[in-house]
Amino acid sequence: MVRAMQLLIQTVIDGLLVGGLYVAISIGFSLAFGILDVVDFAVGEWVVLGGFAGVAAHTWLGIDPIVFLPAVFVIFALIGSLVAPLIYRVRTSRYARPALMALAFTFGIAMLARGTMLTTVGFDPRTVQTSLVGGTLTIGGVHMPWLRLAGFLFAIVTTALFMGFLFFTRTGLAVRAAAQNKRNAGLMGIDVKRLSTIVYAIYAGLTAMAGVLIGAIYTFTAQVGPQYSLLAFFVVVMAGLGSIGGVLVAGLFLGMLQALVTVYVGADYTLAIVFGVLFVVLLVSPQGVLRRGLAA
Amino acid sequence: MTSRTAKPGRPAALVVLPLIVLALVFGTLPMWTDDYWIRVWTGVAMWAGLAASWNIIGGYAGYISFGHVAFFGIGAYATAILMQPGYDWNFFLTLPVGAVIAGLFALIVGWPTLRLRGAYFAIATWALAEALAQIINTLDFTGGSFGLSTPGNPSTWFFYYAMLIATILIYLLTFLLFERSRFGYKVKAVRDNEAAAQSLGINTTAVKLQAFMLSAALPAVLGGINAYWITFINPQSVLSGEVTDQMVVMTLIGGLGHLWGPALGAFVLYLASTWLGAEYGGSTSYIAMIGALLAIIILFLPDGLIGLAPRARGMKLVRKMLGLSGAPGGGGAGTAPPGGRP
Repeated sequence: MVRAMQLLIQTVIDGLLVGGLYVAISIGFSLAFGILDVVDFAVGEWVVLGGFAGVAAHTWLGIDPIVFLPAVFVIFALIGSLVAPLIYRVRTSRYARPALMALAFTFGIAMLARGTMLTTVGFDPRTVQTSLVGGTLTIGGVHMPWLRLAGFLFAIVTTALFMGFLFFTRTGLAVRAAAQNKRNAGLMGIDVKRLSTIVYAIYAGLTAMAGVLIGAIYTFTAQVGPQYSLLAFFVVVMAGLGSIGGVLVAGLFLGMLQALVTVYVGADYTLAIVFGVLFVVLLVSPQGVLRRGLAA
Repeated sequence: MTSRTAKPGRPAALVVLPLIVLALVFGTLPMWTDDYWIRVWTGVAMWAGLAASWNIIGGYAGYISFGHVAFFGIGAYATAILMQPGYDWNFFLTLPVGAVIAGLFALIVGWPTLRLRGAYFAIATWALAEALAQIINTLDFTGGSFGLSTPGNPSTWFFYYAMLIATILIYLLTFLLFERSRFGYKVKAVRDNEAAAQSLGINTTAVKLQAFMLSAALPAVLGGINAYWITFINPQSVLSGEVTDQMVVMTLIGGLGHLWGPALGAFVLYLASTWLGAEYGGSTSYIAMIGALLAIIILFLPDGLIGLAPRARGMKLVRKMLGLSGAPGGGGAGTAPPGGRP
């Protein structure tokens, strides 16, 4: 009985720790959706690219990937700021269906990224090696690897910084305004194009940094991008597209759900159950758990 | 896209003559080429059909499905399972079963998501495909990750004709339903302005759902033929995301929402990939290549290759020269209202 309780607590804590990383992946993604009005299908590829950047830092430069995190942010923010204007251009073009085209465009970017990684690195599994964080913290029989704690801490700090940026700076105010109504924001003198570039750049950098940490915790290959995209989608759909607060709840919930399913049902069924939950959420409350997202 | 009413004389010949030539060439293909080229053309036919069925939901209904491989896989597994020793179904009888199951899956996924904006639908279909691949990997009667083999193996020309006829039927169905019937106008009206369509009394969700179910049932048939053709299927082959990628890319390269766009895209891309595979071997660079191609097409050629074709502007000139450019016949009794997209 005690053992069963302990297993449950351990599982829930494992799930919460992982859920923190899902929050880190999804928060920028959600905001990028809010301002660009495009679901970025490349989100999982940013994670994997970040992971490879971590591997490269260790093997080529001999720098510990954790130290390298700020550089990863800068590199991917730069890449993101090159991609964002293209998405913006497609999204605001006068094609027949710009929303659809922009969706397909990010899908193409994701394929380009995945194909390039597969061609250059191949199918071999990798892990990000770090020597800075190791060992396990044990409290009352519940084990928490320091690495996962660090990941969780990273998620909390970045989320807090991001929230600070959104709610306490003028640019953040502009971002929130543009996410609500681009036309009106434009009339108020907000440069929506510049703003969406900034947001997308931050999002790409943030996601890639989360990718380094995920790569340190889990083994990854060049192929796993779509899986992380799926998780990010789950989080933002459950949160309600565009809702920032919902991301916190949904990300932690997803981590817990996944851990519980893996322990009590079997790892083979995680996607099926995640999909089932997603389905019910879409059916019952398409605006997300906090009912703040945009649905129709 | 203009001139909807039947006109006597030359324009019919303009359409019918090339069709006769095409029918002669493709109908007699197995008689004058070797097995390799028959297989290549079977592939072209299959991809043309797959892209065309994706075009129904993506091009005509305006919702992007990123999980269409699920329906292809459902058809493949339905055929493979029903043909296993013990069931021993006739091959042709297995095809409608796969189509119906795929249609039901489309109903289940489309029902909650087609009411919402396109992003939800794209995500949900994608999640369906991923989840389905994972489930089939674990189930017993699908052979798990090892897969299933289909018994017996007719000659290459059997599959060539099966694929060709299935694809021709898909195009005929698409043409009649989406270019020549009320249903097609409803679907396009919903796509172009949902609120306006609703105000005209169209049940928009039902129309979208019907289009999606049709779009899902057709690839299941092709999946069934494919399963019998390649004699061995597993989740990595018939439920791989690359199948969806190709359907999307072929349709967009050819021309989204055009009847012949998918066929053109499939023709160009399949032959290109076959050539690349024979020349360089690697398949991973192909993913990068079609990804880049997709991005470039969207940026610079949103109408696809068919936008370059003479039909768009040139044909109008040809018609004018033939003296046939009159306004489309004023919507006679019983015919659909004239005029395509604005």
